[in-house]
Amino acid sequence: MAFLPSITKELRPGPVKDWSPALAAILLLVLCLVQAAAAATTPAPSSARSTLARVIFSPDISEQATLLRGLIGSTDPGVEAVLTAWRGGSLFVHDNPDGSQTAFLLDPTTDGDGHAQGLSILDDQPIPGPDAKPLLFSPSELTPADTTAKLRKAIKNTLDFMALGNPDPRFRKDAVVKLGQERNLEYLPLFEARAREEKDPEVSRRLAEALALTRTASPDPAVRVPALRTLGELRSVTSLSFLQSFEKKLRDGPTPPNDESLLAVHKTVLDIETYQQRGNLIGTAFRGFSLAAVLLVAALGLAITFGLMGIINMAHGELMMVGAYTTYVVQNLVRSAFGPSGLPLETYFLVALASSFVVTAAVGLILEQGIIRFLYRRPLESMLATWGVSLLLQQVFRHVFGAANVQVGSPSWLSGSLVIQDVLFAYNRIFVIFFAALIVLGTWSLLTRTSVGLQIRAVMQNRAMASTLGVRTDRVNMLTFAYGSGLAGMAGACLSQIGNVGPGLGQNYIIDCFMIVVLGGIGNIFGTVTASLGVGVTDQILQPWLGAVMGKITVLATIILFLQWRPAGLFVTRSRSLEG
Amino acid sequence: MFAAALVALAIPPLLNAITPEGHFLHVSAFTLSLYGKYLCYSVLALGINLLWGYTGLLSLGQCLFFALGGYALGMHLMLLIGKLGQYKAEIPDFMVFLEFPARFPTTGGLPPHWIPFRSFAFASAAVIWVPGLVALVFGWLAFRSRIKGVYFSILSQALTYAATLMFFRNDFTFGGNNGLTDFKVILGHDINTPATRRALYLASAGLLTLTYLFCRWLSRTKFGLVQRAIRDSENRVLFSGYATSHFKLFVFVVAAVIAGLGGALFVPQVGIINPSEMAPEKSLEAVVWCAVGGRASLVGPILGAIGVNALKSYATHAFAEQWPYLLGSLFVFVTLFMPKGLVGLPDQFRALQRKWRKGVSNP
Repeated sequence: MAFLPSITKELRPGPVKDWSPALAAILLLVLCLVQAAAAATTPAPSSARSTLARVIFSPDISEQATLLRGLIGSTDPGVEAVLTAWRGGSLFVHDNPDGSQTAFLLDPTTDGDGHAQGLSILDDQPIPGPDAKPLLFSPSELTPADTTAKLRKAIKNTLDFMALGNPDPRFRKDAVVKLGQERNLEYLPLFEARAREEKDPEVSRRLAEALALTRTASPDPAVRVPALRTLGELRSVTSLSFLQSFEKKLRDGPTPPNDESLLAVHKTVLDIETYQQRGNLIGTAFRGFSLAAVLLVAALGLAITFGLMGIINMAHGELMMVGAYTTYVVQNLVRSAFGPSGLPLETYFLVALASSFVVTAAVGLILEQGIIRFLYRRPLESMLATWGVSLLLQQVFRHVFGAANVQVGSPSWLSGSLVIQDVLFAYNRIFVIFFAALIVLGTWSLLTRTSVGLQIRAVMQNRAMASTLGVRTDRVNMLTFAYGSGLAGMAGACLSQIGNVGPGLGQNYIIDCFMIVVLGGIGNIFGTVTASLGVGVTDQILQPWLGAVMGKITVLATIILFLQWRPAGLFVTRSRSLEG
Repeated sequence: MFAAALVALAIPPLLNAITPEGHFLHVSAFTLSLYGKYLCYSVLALGINLLWGYTGLLSLGQCLFFALGGYALGMHLMLLIGKLGQYKAEIPDFMVFLEFPARFPTTGGLPPHWIPFRSFAFASAAVIWVPGLVALVFGWLAFRSRIKGVYFSILSQALTYAATLMFFRNDFTFGGNNGLTDFKVILGHDINTPATRRALYLASAGLLTLTYLFCRWLSRTKFGLVQRAIRDSENRVLFSGYATSHFKLFVFVVAAVIAGLGGALFVPQVGIINPSEMAPEKSLEAVVWCAVGGRASLVGPILGAIGVNALKSYATHAFAEQWPYLLGSLFVFVTLFMPKGLVGLPDQFRALQRKWRKGVSNP
């Protein structure tokens, strides 16, 4: 313990900048000699490692940069680790008793006092002390090897180049994009070498982009112009901002306006902009469709209970909330039974969908039997009673689960997004679109292809007549309401994958849902589908211009005005009854 | 009966004026304002009753008109604050921190449509015509295309929802989600003195009395008869040659104006008006006051508004957590078991009694 302070005193930061090159050369020579001597007893350091040591102790930044460049292509993973540590300020230098220096990293394993062995960068072996035992260093008393901003940049650059050889294509892609943005002509051979080996299509594309982008820096128009064209052909969205400023520079510069580069860059910018606009259009359309799907999923249950049965169920939103919380409970059950990851958690959502249907349908059944069936002839009152139910349900869930939102996790197959031509398609949104299509199809076939559906439609069109013909109208009502509620529950389960799950979940959707059902026309499922599509897509088109709130207000106002033109909604169910 | 009610209305301000503070009969200025608030709500309920109880139109957006009336007077009160505000500026505080002087440099930061509200007369007129106009436009659109029943309810709810979203926006120039608050003076009097509070209470009581008398008069005219006929069977009235949509539009506008007047007196007594006052759930709550008291009667809505709000004031202090349960159950219970509300209870009991007697006499 007592000798520690004396050792740490000997530790000095890395190279001092004002050393004359001669001194440095001598030092290097000494170092090499020491290393050669050491090589006799320990395994010989790889050439990359010794280059590394030379970089660290070289006093000259340009020499360091050149040496660093030489490290690219090294297959030794230790080199990357040392460079990362150096850049991050956790590389240290030890003055050997013979006057030489050893750069080292601290062993991550420490003893009880927080001291650790120093592992030489040359061979990863502990630095031996005077008694041949490994020396111990205290991290708090060490000063990291010196770096300058310029040097750190050079190291980063080297690391990026090393990442080009990383087995993970994502790292390679990021590195290529970053290096391409620098437009450094010296990188060209490296890119070319990499491009010959690259197998991953995405990285290959990025490499081509980086190559073209770098070539635009060439003073030779014969290189520059084709490169600009290539960027246009590649639809390189990432280089658009550079190209725009490049075009501006060329325009404002002394070059004559008919310069070929200017023409090329202008065309490229136009190409990419058109491409980007198309992408935005597709993106907006996709978001519109996905919003439409969300609304459709939420409104379909209402289209059943309100459209077919004429019941204004103000608690519809809360039934969605019940479904969302059911998902949450199922998730927690699965988690506590099978642990925090693995196949059960990947598939829990399908179970949760089914259980949210069952649970919510049961709640709907109770609601219908307990309250709504007494109010079939008083629709306005059924509205008030169900609003009361919605207050009750909200408060119950607030009591049980707390007022804050709960966390519902997504299985891995629902998180992330698909990228096609620079447009993002989120998996959960895609899922909702498919799910919406599925339940619409299911509901439609239930109503038109089964005897239950026939009965439902009969009761809807003429309750008294259906009753005289032997349809048990009260039972049909009960089941229809339960089915509509169950759909609301599944909608809630779906929404748990898209937005927050909290006691106020239902309130966010209820008015939109009602508007969609009214807009679509009562008792018509395809009206509901059309209305959700119209509202969803309009909302997404308006949003960039007007903002989310104004967009919504505009949509609401448009619906009110639209009903002037078609008071019964988009699709009218024809009926001879006067009061229908 | 009517005279007794008038006397009862006059008691709280009288007690506030003649008894010293701390006396066991003393009614504090705060309590007086609370009662004043109930009276304003009663006015709103009377308007709803005119629509729902007598015409069969359930509007779920009445609180929008209530809040519009409130905003109209609130704007005037806001401008009266002047340099008494925290920023010591000519314009209301929220305009200072929302950087309105940069947006409206020619008027010193005051949005142009605020300027006429410096005049009390203009603001009072706006209390009437703003809700009336909104109701006229919306009602004309709705009734023209024969939107009725639950569709009308849903559309009116969408209207108030859209308005709430609008008023929540800061750049809509009505104070965003904070609304208008921190009033200091009204008509040259400090708004917080007991004397002003008494005057405001009396004004509310007066408004309630007038509204009550108006509704009573209207229901006894031929117009009132048509109104109820529309409620019971609109098509028969239509086929008898009455333009039902005009009748409905008139009642809708009148109810909106009534609501606006109630809102205008509500604001100085409560001291704040913000967009949450026009949120869809507020309108639903107001409908329930009517349902609890008993619709299609004139006393019922007043009874319901005062009763439910007194209960709410008590419950949110005593057991805030349970209040939504109580309110929700009230909704369900009243619609299921008391279709005629408190006013209809005696009849219900009598019917029950008759049934029971019958059961006893011939078992």
